[in-house]
Formats: sequence, C-alpha cells, structure tokens
Amino acid sequence: MTLSRTHILALLTLYAILLGLRILVEVVGPLGPITGQLLTLLAFYIALGQAFNIFLGMTGYVDFGYVAFMALGMYGMASGVVRAYEAGLTGYYGIVFGLIQTITLTSLLALMVGGIALRLRGAYFAIATISVNEGLRYLVEGLDIWEGSRGLIVSGPLIRLFGSEGFSLLATIISDIMVFSVALLALVISIVFLNTRIGYALKAIREDEDAARVMGVNTTMYKVLAFTTSGILGGLLGAAWSFKVASIYPPDAFNILYTIEAIILVMLGGAGTLAGPIVSGTLYGSLKYFLAGILPGFQLLVFAPILVAVIVVAPEGIVGALRVYIPATRRFIA
Amino acid sequence: MADITSILPYYIISGLLVGSIYGLATIGLTLIFGVLRVVNVGHGAYIMIGMYVTFWLFTLYSLNPFITLIPAFLVGLALGMLLFYVALKRLLRAPELSTLISTFGFGVILEELAKVLWGADYRGFVYSLGSLYLQGIPLPLVRVWPAVIALGLVIALYVLLYRTRLGVAVRAVTQDPEGAMVCGVDVERVYFLTVALGIGLTTASGALLAIYFQQGIYPYIGHLYTLRAFVIAVLGGLGSPIGAFIGGLIVGVIEQASVPLFTMLGAPNPFGLSVFLTFTLILVILLLRPQGLLGR
Amino acid sequence: MLEVLNVTKRFGGLVALKNVSLKIERGERVAIVGPNGSGKTTLFNVINGIYKPDEGRVLFEGVDITDLPAYRRAHLGIARAFQIPRPFPNITVRESVAVGALFGSYYGRIGVREALEIADEKLKLVNLYDKRFELTGRLTVPELKLLELARALASKPKLLLLDEIVAGMPPAMVDHLMLLVRRVADEEGIAIATLVEHVMRAVVRFADRVIVLHLGSKILEGSPEEVLRNPLMEEIYLGRRWSP
Repeated sequence: MTLSRTHILALLTLYAILLGLRILVEVVGPLGPITGQLLTLLAFYIALGQAFNIFLGMTGYVDFGYVAFMALGMYGMASGVVRAYEAGLTGYYGIVFGLIQTITLTSLLALMVGGIALRLRGAYFAIATISVNEGLRYLVEGLDIWEGSRGLIVSGPLIRLFGSEGFSLLATIISDIMVFSVALLALVISIVFLNTRIGYALKAIREDEDAARVMGVNTTMYKVLAFTTSGILGGLLGAAWSFKVASIYPPDAFNILYTIEAIILVMLGGAGTLAGPIVSGTLYGSLKYFLAGILPGFQLLVFAPILVAVIVVAPEGIVGALRVYIPATRRFIA
Repeated sequence: MADITSILPYYIISGLLVGSIYGLATIGLTLIFGVLRVVNVGHGAYIMIGMYVTFWLFTLYSLNPFITLIPAFLVGLALGMLLFYVALKRLLRAPELSTLISTFGFGVILEELAKVLWGADYRGFVYSLGSLYLQGIPLPLVRVWPAVIALGLVIALYVLLYRTRLGVAVRAVTQDPEGAMVCGVDVERVYFLTVALGIGLTTASGALLAIYFQQGIYPYIGHLYTLRAFVIAVLGGLGSPIGAFIGGLIVGVIEQASVPLFTMLGAPNPFGLSVFLTFTLILVILLLRPQGLLGR
Repeated sequence: MLEVLNVTKRFGGLVALKNVSLKIERGERVAIVGPNGSGKTTLFNVINGIYKPDEGRVLFEGVDITDLPAYRRAHLGIARAFQIPRPFPNITVRESVAVGALFGSYYGRIGVREALEIADEKLKLVNLYDKRFELTGRLTVPELKLLELARALASKPKLLLLDEIVAGMPPAMVDHLMLLVRRVADEEGIAIATLVEHVMRAVVRFADRVIVLHLGSKILEGSPEEVLRNPLMEEIYLGRRWSP
C-alpha cells in the first residue's frame, strides 16, 4: 500500500484546516454554526478514531476495554499535576510528570494485557479486554488510588498553578491543541505503519492469522506493537482531555461509552483505512453535537443500532466501501 | 477483629449460594459459544433485563418474585430470538469481530433502552422470607431458594441436552456443524433455539439475582456480570455447561471469601477489590490454562 | 536439505503420521502421493510448523527446526501454497503477494517498494498481472491457486510446498501450471514438494521422485514410472482386487 502522496497531503491539509478553524474561532468567536465546542468534539473523535484504528482497524481484534487506556491517561496526567502542586513545583513540571506517568501506565497495561491475551484467539482476547475495564475501575476504587470514589480534583490545583486565566486557556484552546496533536501523531503513525511492512503484517493478521504465520509474520509481536501503540495514543488523548474536567471519578473515567464510540468510529469510517476515522470522526462529532440539543442522553440509543447496522450490512465502512465498489479509488485512498 | 475461621464458613456458603446462580448466569454464554462459536459480548445486559422484570412485576403488581421467573425467562426467549435474527444470522460466516461487535451493540441497545425507559437510578426492593439456620449461621431463604432453583434449572438443562432429541442435535452441532447437517440436522434451527434458550436462562438468572440481592439494579449493572460470566466461562472451559456451573461455584466462593480477607487486610473498599480479584483470575487462567477446567 | 526423521503425529486416538522419514535435496522435485486421509497434509503441516510432531525431528539445511515457530521457518525459506487458497480477501492481489515477499526469506532486508516490484514480477509469471489491483476476494478459484503460487514464489523459498495445487483443474491447465512450476524451480533452484491425491498427470510430468503415503506410513518411494506401475497403488486407491 504505498500510500499516494496526494492522499497524505490531502489529509494533512484537512487537519490543518480544522486546527486553523479552531484557532480562528477562539480569536474571533463562532462562525455561524461552527463553534469552538463543535471543533473540540470533532478533534476528539478524529483522534479517538485514528488511535483505535491502529489496533481494531488494522488487526481486526476488538479491544473492549480500550477506555481503560484513556482513563489511565486522564488519571496519569491529573495526578501528575496534583502531585506537582503538592510538591510546590511549577505547573510545567506537573504536565511533564503527568505525561511520563501516562505513557508509563498505558505501556504497562498494554504489555501486561497484550502479552497475556494477544497470544490467544480473538474471542479470548475480547473476553480478556472487556474485563480489563471493569477490573481496573474496581482496583482504583478498591485501593482508593487517586482518591478512588471520592474523585480526583483537578481544577483546583490547576487554577493555583496556572492562574485562573491560564487555567481557562488550558481547559479550552490549549487542551484542544493537545488533542489535535494526538490526532496528528496518530495519523502520522498510521501512515508509517501502512507504508511499511508493519501495515502489511497487521492486515495479513486481520485477514487470515494462521496463513500470515505460515508466511513468516510474527503475529504476536505485531499484535502487541499495534496494541501498545494504540493504547499509548489513547492514553495521551485522555491526558489531553483531563484538563477539561473539574474532577475525575472512576465510573466516568472508565465509562464504557468511549469504547463504544471508538468502535463505532473505526467501523463506520472504514476499519484499517487512513481516511476512515477522519470521515467518521467528523460525522459522528457533528451529529453528536447537533443532536445533543434535540435528544439529550439519547445519543447512544441512536448510534448503537447504527453500529449494528454497519457491521451487518457494510462492515467495510464508508471509506472501505469506496475502495470496494469504485476500483479506481484503490490506488489513491487507503 | 473477628476470628476468621468462625466467619469463613458463612462466606463460603454464601459463595456457594450466589455461585450457583452465577453458574446459571454463565451457562447461556457458554452454550452459545459452544454451539455457534460466538461470544455474546453483550451478555450482562440480559441479566439486567431479567432483574428489571422481577423488580417491576414485584413493585407494580406485587407479584411473588419467584413467579417472575417465568415472564423473565419468556422475555429472554424473545430477546434471544431477536438477537439471533438481527445480530447473528447473517454474520455466522463473517470474521470473528463482526459477531463480537454486533452482540456488543445489541447489548448496548438494551442498556440504553433501559436507561431511557426506566432511568439511570439504582432500584431495589425488599422481600423477605425469613432465614434458615445452619449450625447457627443465618441463611436468608431469599438467598437459599434462588440458588436451589438455579441448580434445578441446570439439571433441567442437563436433561434436555442428554436425554432429548433436541439435546442430541445441539451436541452434534457443537462437535461438528457440517457433520450434523449431513446427518439431517437443521443446523440453523439449532442455532436459533440455542440462542433463544441461552438468553432465556440468562434473563432467568437475572431474576434470581434480583431476588438474591434486591438492591443495586440499574441499567449498567450488566457490565459487572459480564465480567463475572466471562471469568466463569473461561474457568470452566468455554462451551462446557457443567464447567460453567462449577466455575460459578468456585468464583462465587472466591469472591465472597475474599471480602472478609480484604477487610482484615485493611483495604478501604473490600468489595471493589474482590471484583478486581475476579478480573485478575481471568488473566491468570488465560496465562496458565486457557481452555479452562473442562474445555477442549 | 530437508530431512524428516521418524515423525509421528497423533490427534487423540488417530495416528495421522506413523514414523515417517524422508529427504528432499536441493533443487529436487518430489511428489507426495496418497489417497485421502493418508497424512499428506499433516506432513506438510509438520514441515511448516503448524503442527509439532509427537515424535521425530525435522531438519532443514542441517538445522533442527522441530521446535521452531512457523513464522521463523518462512524466514529460512520454506514456503507453502495451500490447497484451499487462503487469500487475504480485503486487500488487493498485488498487496497479497507482497506479503509473501516481505516476510519470506528476504525478511528484514526488504522494503515495501521492492516487495511490490517482486509481486508484480511474480504476478506476470502466473499471468495475473492484469488483476493486480483487484481485491483477492473477487478472484475465481483457479486464479486464487495462481495467486497462492505467486505469493509462495515471491518469498524466494528454498523449499516450496505445493498442496494439491492442480486438484480440480482441467488437464490443459494442469500441464501448463506444472510446466511453469518446473521452469521456475529449475531457474531458481527451488526444491519442490507437491502433494497429489489423484491427478497423476501432474506426477508423471513433473516429479523426479515419488513418495507414497498410506494411512500415515510411507509405503513406496521411487521414480514416477516405478511407483505408478506398482500394484500396491491400485490397492491403496481402489481396495484389494477381487480375484475372479
């Protein structure tokens, strides 16, 4: 799949436009229906889709506990900041420390769970991962880690470290830029994967794991690679998002909702495609934003049936369907 | 500090009682996997539905909770049929992830419907039948009877599987779908009935769990039970109903017995930790013996 | 080059391979023949690393590979074309063959661009070049078999295991394919082991040596003419003769 240069440039341009719009809106205010919050949401879902696509899309394995990575990211960053505050250091130390925690925690989780569960078949892997989310949540509550059920209060320390204006900037435009960065990072990594033998290995695994093994693909290694990468990106996304919440509670952080959304994003857009998450992220983010006014709390009830419909009728997703039914696109869209 | 040897028997018996129901709750999952090779990721949602059936029928119509078992089972049968036609029938030859996601999605739909219809608040009720005393240990009858009924249902299933023609067909399809087809078994019908029956047993177990615990019923309670069911299914061996029941007993005991242990160790939230223990069990089993006790 | 030493493989009560030994030299063309259930595919699976033998060893170029995982054997130069083609349905033909090139004996020394070039080359060889952008899930069965062959060749193997590649094909195609395989094998010095159940045409025109398996044991070995003339062949395929 040597990706066409045009395709890559087109996607990067789209990202640039999105980021540019966000900054513009921050400076001049909303442009018609396009508000800062809408763009924030789009960035978030594109990032989530792109990050999860590296695993679900490229290997065909479903990680039902994906949100655990995001939760670890949230907690990792938030607790890093709080610890810096308590130690009397500046906020920047807090962020760096938080980043280190995020990456360490998510890598550990990925290697532990992946190392055990990825040696087995997809069904067992699904079982293992769905337990991860619940299990970790109960661990956090059970041992009162990060304030457990009482909630980890982030906004207070943040205000004191950065000032209330700084905090306001952090919670809006700066964290959005962070989210964009994660999305960009995920895109770049996807491009690298798809353009090298890593992508070929992963797709071979997805299509026929046994045949792939016979052909020389070290399936366990590649699966763990994709899993860890995807997990760390999810954690970084959670870390970026942590600046937007006042406090973090285990049921919210480990909310299976994000896993559901991640699955929808990848399958709807086109599993394993590069452009898929961008298409579905934009679609889903917009729909969610505009529907929130009309049907509060109904969103999943609308999207879960869509997910089932997609999986039954068009599992290739939007971009995938383009590749299947319009052969000319195969050289250009991945 | 209580002497652990004196309170341990209580927790072990509790564990066996609740474990019996856990076992029933898992049999549907393992049956569906054994026959269709499909993991019903949305498994917990059906337990939740069973709980709500009991809750509403008791609260609104003062129906004896034990009687609600029947409507719960029937609701499960219907949901199972729906699940098969919507999420499974067309995907039997598709890659694994298709049914994983479709069953997951179906479960989410049920949970969201429950949330929209009945609200996200925790529900509960009170129903007591007194207690029976075993060597001085009080055992509430509302906890003993569900365990006994669960065991009864498991035995009934065993009879179905080993003494009826349908059971033979089911076991044949489990071993070799193509071979069974060649022998004249309507494989698709077996699939359909298995899913319906499996889900029916699952919702029935939800009703029993509602009687047992009587508290904490809310739309997302299913997630916790999905975790438990998966651990039990893997422990017992995916596809083995007897394994599921025995696994249920084991997990029930481990979970219950770990609570006083964690309390003694000074943990701030022993219940949370016992769930975490259940989760680590899965990783341990997958690491050491993925096929479980009785799996193949 | 390849040595199978006293390999036994059991599946529960069934003994699929019973104390089987054979050798394949560099560049040789060997046909492994036997009726259904004789253990041919199991033998290939053991050589490939899909199964581990219960007894016996497998040596490749002097190295004991019995415990080596399947994917490492591909790097050593053992390639397999499956009887029931295993396409990668949702990727293009070209990409599918490239997988073979990337993870075969070139592993670690080759990039995607070169792999795609090799893929094109092999696709031209089997006459599938025009369909290289087609999704493999859409090819016909004969085309899929050619794809399997192209993919196996793309990995630059030293030993090519062809699993009943000509089963179900019209005679003309059988000839064409076997000639092609023979030509490539000669050019590149690849040893080829091919499994044949009943398309004896493939055996005669292609093999230097024939090995006959029956119910898991090796019962005959020799040149194609010798073996095919042996009355045992008729027995194992058709059963004992009724004497009039």
